[in-house]
Amino acid sequence: MAITEAHAGRRYPSNQPYRVSAAKIAEFATALGDDNPRYRDEPPIAPPTFAAVISAPGWNHIFNDPELELSLERIVHGDQRFTFHRPIRAGDVVIATVTIDKVRVRAGSDLVSATVDMSGPDGEQICSAHATFYHARKALV
Amino acid sequence: MKATVAEGIEIGTQLPSLTVRFTRERLVRYAGASTDFNPIHYSEHFAKQAGLPGVIAHGMLTMGTALRVITNWVGDPSRVTAYSARFTRPVVVPDDADGVEVEFSASISAVEGSLVTISIDAISDGQKVLGAARAEVDLGVRVPHRDHES
Repeated sequence: MAITEAHAGRRYPSNQPYRVSAAKIAEFATALGDDNPRYRDEPPIAPPTFAAVISAPGWNHIFNDPELELSLERIVHGDQRFTFHRPIRAGDVVIATVTIDKVRVRAGSDLVSATVDMSGPDGEQICSAHATFYHARKALV
Repeated sequence: MKATVAEGIEIGTQLPSLTVRFTRERLVRYAGASTDFNPIHYSEHFAKQAGLPGVIAHGMLTMGTALRVITNWVGDPSRVTAYSARFTRPVVVPDDADGVEVEFSASISAVEGSLVTISIDAISDGQKVLGAARAEVDLGVRVPHRDHES
């Protein structure tokens, strides 16, 4: 079995809740070369694209689903879209749930779009990350 | 301060640009900070095996750095309400002290009430590396209407 268009709508259970720390925010801001003081406040907020860090385990649910037969080394990130309802802050406990929105199976590759919804334990929406990935059916080499 | 910013805004307003250098050190830092340890971002061997010309920057490093143009300008990053981009071309990062230069520029492309849409260009080695990159920012104050905007 491989990925098919019928896999659209598949939803994966959330991972362990992600606990946002001031140290990880500072490390991430430094990696972006970003000295914005809000990332070093007490408590700090995270750079908006920190949402990609929290959503990463969500994408892995899809990439590691044995039924889909995807190979990580043949996956290319096509596009990325974030919607922010409020900033991510140190101390947040974030629950990420991933859903496959759409699959397009083409001759040599599959196009998979999916959304990770990130919310607090009380259900408060924090942000969502939508991405499209191209999966080459044959090795690129 | 924000009212002052809002008054200077109209479609076409340019934001201060930003030029950064991506080095291998930056890629290693970003890998650790983001937990994206795909070896194409630090190993020539794996990059070549994946059919790439060399080690490439994480798309999210480019996208995250590009947003600095906007957060530097607006000051408060929590005003960013949406951000999207396509990864159109990989940024190859050579294994030397200089790395590769990426230039980011941005301008206002739409205004509606207090919401402004800003389009970003990211250029490396003369080529656009992000496609249709744009962010939506809520300035919290209405932008004065100008007739020539639409």
